[in-house]
Amino acid sequence: MQVQFLSPVPPPPPEPQEEDGDVSMVDGESVGINPVTPGQAIATDTQGHGTYLEGSTVHSSVAGMIDRVNKLISVRPLKTRYNAEIGDIVVGRITEVAQSRWKVDVNGRQDAVLMLSSVNLPGGVQRRKSESDQLQMRTFFSEGDLLVGEVQSFYADGATALQTRTLKYCKLRNGTFTCVPPALVQRCKSHFHTLPCGVDVILGLNGYIWVSKTTEKLPKGVEGRAAEEVEAEMAYSNKNEPITDHERETIARVSNCIAALARRFMYINDSIIVYAYEASLGFAVSDLLQLQVIRAITQEASAKAAMS
Amino acid sequence: MPAPLISPSERDYITKSVQANLRADGRTRLDYRQIVLETGLISQTSGSARCRLGEGTDVLVGVKVEIGQVDIDSAGNRGKVVCNVECSPSASQQFEGRGADELNNELTQALERVLNGAQGGLNLEKLCIIQGQQCWVVYIDAIILDSAGNLLDAIFIATRAALFNTRVPKTIVQDLGDGQFEFELLDDVESAERIEGWDHVPIGITLNKIGSRYIIDATPLEELCTEAKLVVAVNRKGHLCGLQKSADGGIEPSLLTEMVQTAKSLGQSLIKQLDDQLEREEIDFNARRARGEHVEKLGFFAA
Repeated sequence: MQVQFLSPVPPPPPEPQEEDGDVSMVDGESVGINPVTPGQAIATDTQGHGTYLEGSTVHSSVAGMIDRVNKLISVRPLKTRYNAEIGDIVVGRITEVAQSRWKVDVNGRQDAVLMLSSVNLPGGVQRRKSESDQLQMRTFFSEGDLLVGEVQSFYADGATALQTRTLKYCKLRNGTFTCVPPALVQRCKSHFHTLPCGVDVILGLNGYIWVSKTTEKLPKGVEGRAAEEVEAEMAYSNKNEPITDHERETIARVSNCIAALARRFMYINDSIIVYAYEASLGFAVSDLLQLQVIRAITQEASAKAAMS
Repeated sequence: MPAPLISPSERDYITKSVQANLRADGRTRLDYRQIVLETGLISQTSGSARCRLGEGTDVLVGVKVEIGQVDIDSAGNRGKVVCNVECSPSASQQFEGRGADELNNELTQALERVLNGAQGGLNLEKLCIIQGQQCWVVYIDAIILDSAGNLLDAIFIATRAALFNTRVPKTIVQDLGDGQFEFELLDDVESAERIEGWDHVPIGITLNKIGSRYIIDATPLEELCTEAKLVVAVNRKGHLCGLQKSADGGIEPSLLTEMVQTAKSLGQSLIKQLDDQLEREEIDFNARRARGEHVEKLGFFAA
């Protein structure tokens, strides 16, 4: 048995700020970062989200970054629920099966909606959804299932509509689930990554992350059936492929690295995960839960990221 | 914390990882997460402690001793322990509204059964002030501030730590003759004492049976895969102080004996390390105060 009792540690002292304000120079480019804390006076402009008015000055009501659009000033909080944008790739969990739609938990203020008409069904990509499909919706996705999808549009009440119309959007298997604050996931060209260590990572922009074993290209068409058709069927499979202990360890290491980065409030993308993974190789997987190890690997990862 | 649901493939993955003795976060079956513990952080209580397990679970326990009436149906010479556990709605979406009621009752019952029984450790007779009339009532209030699995173990650890921290004011009883008694409370803080028998207070170890093996300190997803849950209360001497089985799966008799044995040895070493930590904290605190330093508890300012 391993158990470790610790005393709480005081928060690190604030880093000294530069005299001339909050604009730091990176590579000769000036990058404006404006972190504000609750109650801080910001400006005298029009107030937007995350602010309140006291007298004639606008104060921040949350801890976050200032967002300025002309005269409208709002504060984007650092720790918040997910605010969807069209085209975002999200990882979600089915919470409810309803009339020709699924409700999906995407870490947002309300559950997203996945319509039966916006999923790919086995047997012909372009076929119409019939009543029998409605009756067997649970064979595609049932409560608790994890899936990756894309934000398609918004409803009038602000709910998000998802779609899984391409074959890369599917049910998730062969791996493990991690949750980080949505603000930490960096918006990238691709959110599906295959890391050199043999692990697939799906970085949902909603802060839900799926780490799984790399799956080889799906089987070619068997017995005269089109490859696409087999693939569409595979997309709804609940069966895990056999996973070796070594793969299991690598998956655990990667997901612990992601948790470590999130714990230190560092942004998350594929390269920083690889750096953190490389830095973690000197430690046992279970040690990655320890605070001093977390500090060591994240520092090394951020140093490497700054160099490249 | 997201909705309490799990997909079949995750369930399969977790069950197989438990079988392989390498859980999803890299721990082995019998590993605890790091436990961060602090005592004496609420000044209005007689004793308090906050226990955090790894990233998630966060439990705050306050102990308050108050003067109350002795229970008439008992022998009239015992104080009592009243427990209350409350899950804060901020800990999880499920706890909103009436969602936490059932869990609150379950946890309160589990704690109260262990602490109020004969095996509870606390010397309740010493809590009686005047025979048949007045006694100390120990109110133990736990609040769940964040939930990431294994709540009950955290509550037990925090309760033991809070009882270590608790001081009961001294009383002086005067005999006024013809069966009349009067007592006086001593204001002197230094003379206040711990409740006798705090060191015999048991802690609970929750064993979750997943597949054909069992694990301790389960995460929420692992708890969702649990077939059967066994809470074993163990005291410092390794004596069995309580056993409670929940969830709908069964446990084979041979596995049950093994689980109880494991829990006993785990519990004993956990209590030892817990006591070491509590003593370390106290020695450190007293040493710094003796040096004339201003010592403040970190409480919620901790990183």
